[in-house]
Amino acid sequence: MTGLLSNKYIKYGLIILLSVGLIMFTQEIKHVKDPNSMPVTGMTVLGLGVLWLFSMIGIFISDLVNKTSISILREFPVLGWVSIVSLLMCLLSDFFIQAIQAVDFLSITTPILTFAGISVANRLVDLKNTSWRVAIVAVFVFTGTYIGSALIATLGLYLAGN
Amino acid sequence: MKIKDLVYLIAFVLVIITISEMIGFQSISVGDISIGLLPLVFAIVITMILGLQFFRKGFWKQIYSKVNIEFSGKYLLFIMLPLMARYGADVAPQIREILQIGWVFIFQEFGNLGTVIFGLPIAIMIGLRREAIGATLGIGREGELAYISEKYTLDSKEGRGVLSLYIIGTLFGAIFFSILAPILLGLGIRVEALAMASGVGSGSMMSASSASLVAQMPEMESTILAYASASQLLTSFLGTFTMVFLAAPLQQFMYKLLVRGEK
Repeated sequence: MTGLLSNKYIKYGLIILLSVGLIMFTQEIKHVKDPNSMPVTGMTVLGLGVLWLFSMIGIFISDLVNKTSISILREFPVLGWVSIVSLLMCLLSDFFIQAIQAVDFLSITTPILTFAGISVANRLVDLKNTSWRVAIVAVFVFTGTYIGSALIATLGLYLAGN
Repeated sequence: MKIKDLVYLIAFVLVIITISEMIGFQSISVGDISIGLLPLVFAIVITMILGLQFFRKGFWKQIYSKVNIEFSGKYLLFIMLPLMARYGADVAPQIREILQIGWVFIFQEFGNLGTVIFGLPIAIMIGLRREAIGATLGIGREGELAYISEKYTLDSKEGRGVLSLYIIGTLFGAIFFSILAPILLGLGIRVEALAMASGVGSGSMMSASSASLVAQMPEMESTILAYASASQLLTSFLGTFTMVFLAAPLQQFMYKLLVRGEK
């Protein structure tokens, strides 16, 4: 078992399998709570398989470019590679789009934020030592980037006439 | 990593997901504006509260064990990969529309300078100095951490500024954006513009922001997700350049101006 897990692709593969498994679970629970929401169908399972596959291809590409000497490619995050792989594959075939869209978007986000919550458990202590001033600044920094982009985008959309 | 730890962790995650989804989408009205709280907000809040040292006794200590917390932090990135793949499928059908107004996407990247323009004067006003350089360069994600630590080291005042922002963003960023986005929508900013703005450069903040927009306007789901992910993709390509060539010089200029004006 540990020998098998020392291969990083097998390890990542299993973790992403856990992730898509949790998404399916979430979608099912969501459906139990609200029968109008998207049910888990055969297409959902296919879609989850496709998401798993694209994630693995993204990891693989990220590993490959890490070996090159072009720094802008090396610094590009694996998250970005996965989106690009998926975008290109979805442009090639509508089947991928249909399969992936059978996976409920909001069901993907709940498991992620659950893990995010657990991962910060030990940082809560650090926060006590952080100055309250930075917390105030953070509100303006986050609001600033968001409103800044939103206002410029509004202007841009207006100029584009749509 | 012991198998027992992992089993506890997965069982705990299943319970949290079930509780969060059973609470479901809750809408709170403040005046004319309704703030939608998605299950994802409950998931992160519950796990954060249960993770307080205060609760960590006996059995609970095994769930929030060192290995489990490390596992969650280290592999969060991989847990998020299916989400990123989903974004590809949202962009593809809209690619024509996105390319048509592609310049708007590039143009709105300049909005990320809002961290300096809005944040720096406030930081100086409440008494921060060199810490403000670290805390307002960007939203304090890995990119800014790397830049500040390379230029000033993390042990400097600038370094402490960026680290503090990193921690606060990690803790509250997603919750903050999931509340801010619907408020701005309620104030009348177009949903397309807010979707573009959601690409702030952090996966969890972007998904929280775009998810809460989708919850408010379900009929616009495909456009919101496509615009948010296209903008996010662009931010991850251009973000470093915006930071190094625009945000950092602008920050130095404003910093000198603001601090000098005070004396």
